[in-house]
Amino acid sequence: MIARISYAFRETWASFKRNVTLTMAAVITSAVSLLLVGSTFLIQRAFDNLLTRWKGDVELIVYVRSDADANQIQVIEDALKSQPAIIDVSKLRYLDQADSYAEAQKLFAGDPGTLRLLTPENIPSQFKVVPISQDSNLIRELGEQFRGLAGVREVAYAQDVFDVVARVSQFIRIATTAMSIVLLMVAVGLIWNTIRTAMFARRREIEVMKLVGATNWFIRIPFMLEGLLQGLIGGVLSCLGLWGLNSAWSSAVADFNDTELAALVVTDGYMRFVMFILLGIGAIAGAVGSGIAASRFLDV
Amino acid sequence: MIRLENVTKTYGTDIPAVRDASFEIAKGEFVFMVGPSGSGKSTLLRLMNRQEQPERGAVWVAGKNINEMADSKVPYLRRNIGNIFQDYKLLLNKTVFENVAFALEVIGRPKHVIRQQVPAVLDLVGLSDKEDRFPHQLSGGEQQRVSIARAFVNRPLILLADEPTGNLDPATGEGIMRLLDRINNTGTTVVMATHDQRIVNMMRRRVVQLDRGVIVRDQERGVYD
Repeated sequence: MIARISYAFRETWASFKRNVTLTMAAVITSAVSLLLVGSTFLIQRAFDNLLTRWKGDVELIVYVRSDADANQIQVIEDALKSQPAIIDVSKLRYLDQADSYAEAQKLFAGDPGTLRLLTPENIPSQFKVVPISQDSNLIRELGEQFRGLAGVREVAYAQDVFDVVARVSQFIRIATTAMSIVLLMVAVGLIWNTIRTAMFARRREIEVMKLVGATNWFIRIPFMLEGLLQGLIGGVLSCLGLWGLNSAWSSAVADFNDTELAALVVTDGYMRFVMFILLGIGAIAGAVGSGIAASRFLDV
Repeated sequence: MIRLENVTKTYGTDIPAVRDASFEIAKGEFVFMVGPSGSGKSTLLRLMNRQEQPERGAVWVAGKNINEMADSKVPYLRRNIGNIFQDYKLLLNKTVFENVAFALEVIGRPKHVIRQQVPAVLDLVGLSDKEDRFPHQLSGGEQQRVSIARAFVNRPLILLADEPTGNLDPATGEGIMRLLDRINNTGTTVVMATHDQRIVNMMRRRVVQLDRGVIVRDQERGVYD
């Protein structure tokens, strides 16, 4: 048994050294494709975090004209409070112009052009409304009623923003998934080809092995180990890359601590989970690709 | 030890390489398969260790129908059958010792067995002093002795030799023949395909003659023609 194991590792290592160029190509391709797979996971998770946070948060904002007087504002507030069946009155928040301006400073921190146009005087104050009802039609109907009130400048539905972000996230999900599947297939193909080349270079040896009665598994295992190793190294490289990308992103987003953008990060726990998945996919893809290549060669 | 029952083997759609061949080889026998190139000698040998499957008929080896054997059992069949070829099929990057040891290594024999059996078999074929040489440092006859050592190191029941003297001069070929004879005397069944008339006539053993895939003669203590 020990003789067999040491044989397998010796052969794997020798073959690895013999085929440096092809091995590098296979490793790099699997690293890149796995990096993309990992990014898909992380982007998805970040969007999900963002969307979940929004879901449970403000769904309706009633913007009040900057020239509205206290009386008009009171009318709006009373109207809102008269609908306890639809909105959560206890969570109703009024941001006056100073508060709204402070919030805008954060929201548009990356957009100085917009920021320059806003002043504490011209900015609308706002009611942030958290609905109780899950029925978005009902909420919309209510919103339309408020639109007719004097002093109301605009009614914004978080649902609309939510839908846009959800659509964008859906698109990114499909695009990155498709790309990573294609790249993953390329990586498996390259590993397959490396193993086939390695086996072709050693066809004499394999012929002799078969004739003296080596089992197919005995012949196959060093080649499968080689493929597995290529996939695994690709996986390790992609994990390093992903970790680097994620920490760069997290520290960039950390500046927006109080805004929704801050939700666009993933936790270390999830990151570890993704890395684990990447190593797994790399190892399995490598072993399967090389196993298929080896089997086809052994059947001839 | 080996029995063929009405075996027919066709490559592609051409005329059969072997047609309706039936014969039996007893344990410890020495048999020459003779006939011109393309008469089906090699195909018969390849049918005996399941490198080929026949279209019709059955091949029995050591009491088993090897055509019905599961693929996963074939390696174990082959551990009982040694193979020798005209072109030796040695691994050029391995020494004499390593070439022979390889046959034991790949069937999972432990190191101490290898260290004991390889020198013994190299002694038998007369290459004890050359175990660290590489194949290209050896003469043709010596290379063939290495390949015989590799085929015999696992003490197989059967030795299949396909034109083992084909690449050698007559004197060297005779030496190889004597070595195979000695191996046969240990009780190993030897089947040898050849068109070397001189050797066949010298040995006076059983001769099975093939012509275009058909067995035309099967004679005890025969000569080539």
